Amino acid sequence: MKINKLLFITDFEELWFDAIKSLMDLKKAGLNHVVFLHVIKREDVAMRRGTGYLKETEVRLKEMANVRFINWAESIFEQGMECGAYIVVGDPVPKAVSAAKEEKIDLIVTGRHKKGKLEELYGGSETIELLRRSATPVMVHKFMLGSGKVNDKPFERPLLALDWSPSSQKALEFLVAIKDALKKVEIIHVISENKMKGLSKIELQKIQKYSKKGLDEACGTFEKEGIEVAAHLYIGEITSQIEKAAREREASMIVAGTTGKSGWKERILGSVPRYLAEKSELPTILVPGESRTDAD
Amino acid sequence: MKNVLVVDDDADVRIFVSTVLEENNCSPIITKNGDEGLSKVREKKPDLIILDVLMPKRSGIKMYRELKTDDSLKKIPVVILSGIAKRTFLRSQEALTEFGEKGVPEPDFYLEKPVEPEELAEVVKRILS
Repeated sequence: MKINKLLFITDFEELWFDAIKSLMDLKKAGLNHVVFLHVIKREDVAMRRGTGYLKETEVRLKEMANVRFINWAESIFEQGMECGAYIVVGDPVPKAVSAAKEEKIDLIVTGRHKKGKLEELYGGSETIELLRRSATPVMVHKFMLGSGKVNDKPFERPLLALDWSPSSQKALEFLVAIKDALKKVEIIHVISENKMKGLSKIELQKIQKYSKKGLDEACGTFEKEGIEVAAHLYIGEITSQIEKAAREREASMIVAGTTGKSGWKERILGSVPRYLAEKSELPTILVPGESRTDAD
Repeated sequence: MKNVLVVDDDADVRIFVSTVLEENNCSPIITKNGDEGLSKVREKKPDLIILDVLMPKRSGIKMYRELKTDDSLKKIPVVILSGIAKRTFLRSQEALTEFGEKGVPEPDFYLEKPVEPEELAEVVKRILS
């Protein structure tokens, strides 16, 4: 797994050039190509009664995006990196998935794209849809923190949430691949409160022992690569414990696997990654499992 | 009739440049990005290349470098036609050279978008004559 090429999706509302600058630590891990994507939503230029297709609006919106991308690209090029851009009309998620496939992207970076309560209830946000459909790791960047501060060094101190699934193993491999961009990795496994119900003391101790062994093995992988690492075992409701650990360990972002299941289950995104992507204050990188393919 | 390869991801620019070329007795060969452009150069060996910089897949900066470091292609003249400033183009080539890649000469001509048809025609004529 290498991180040479990044797809930066922007609607020019949430993520701007300063958010890209915060990703430049990835250069230490081999990043050498940034591709920008701006999708003009079909409804913004779609045919309307009496007006037809709004060609002039499309040209204007494309030109506005182009001016911004040229400005950003100049900064990227001047660092000796490769840069490309897509400005397209259509549905954001399929366009992002196809651009990632076309460009053989290693990491997609997008914003949170908050939606109203009703949309969340019925469909979830575009970000969630992208996470469901992408075969590429997705970083949901939260550059502006709720406190009003900016997160300009997201890769310094990632918190890796492991659940022993194939996709969480992939998340671990992802961090190893970008080791030169990291300062310290905090690893956490949460023993779910629900899982403990009705178990005997011995059974609980077995789970604890198994979890600690898994954490030790994960630490060993990082230490072998010369990465400073610490492991922690938490117990309780998974998402709240991950958030708690992130706060306690002063993590700069959260990394986790998605469900990574095959076939129709691909479209189901686990509740933990969904929560982390949408609700957590920290940037989140979600890594799909091996069996996933782009569902476009 | 001279063959001129046009490499630009913007369809409007491709049409504009092709029209100028045809009006000046040139035959345009059209491509949409640096990858396509490079394979077309190898296939057709055009007399001139008009190259954009910011494009998907392979940028004009990379394509230009490939052209100028390939002995069989480096003599083909290149006009850069881009919204990216000339200064940036030259700095990026310098940065790549600093990172250990080969040094490359400046392009034959650098036109910043938008360009007037007369100006483009004049540059094409001058290079091809």
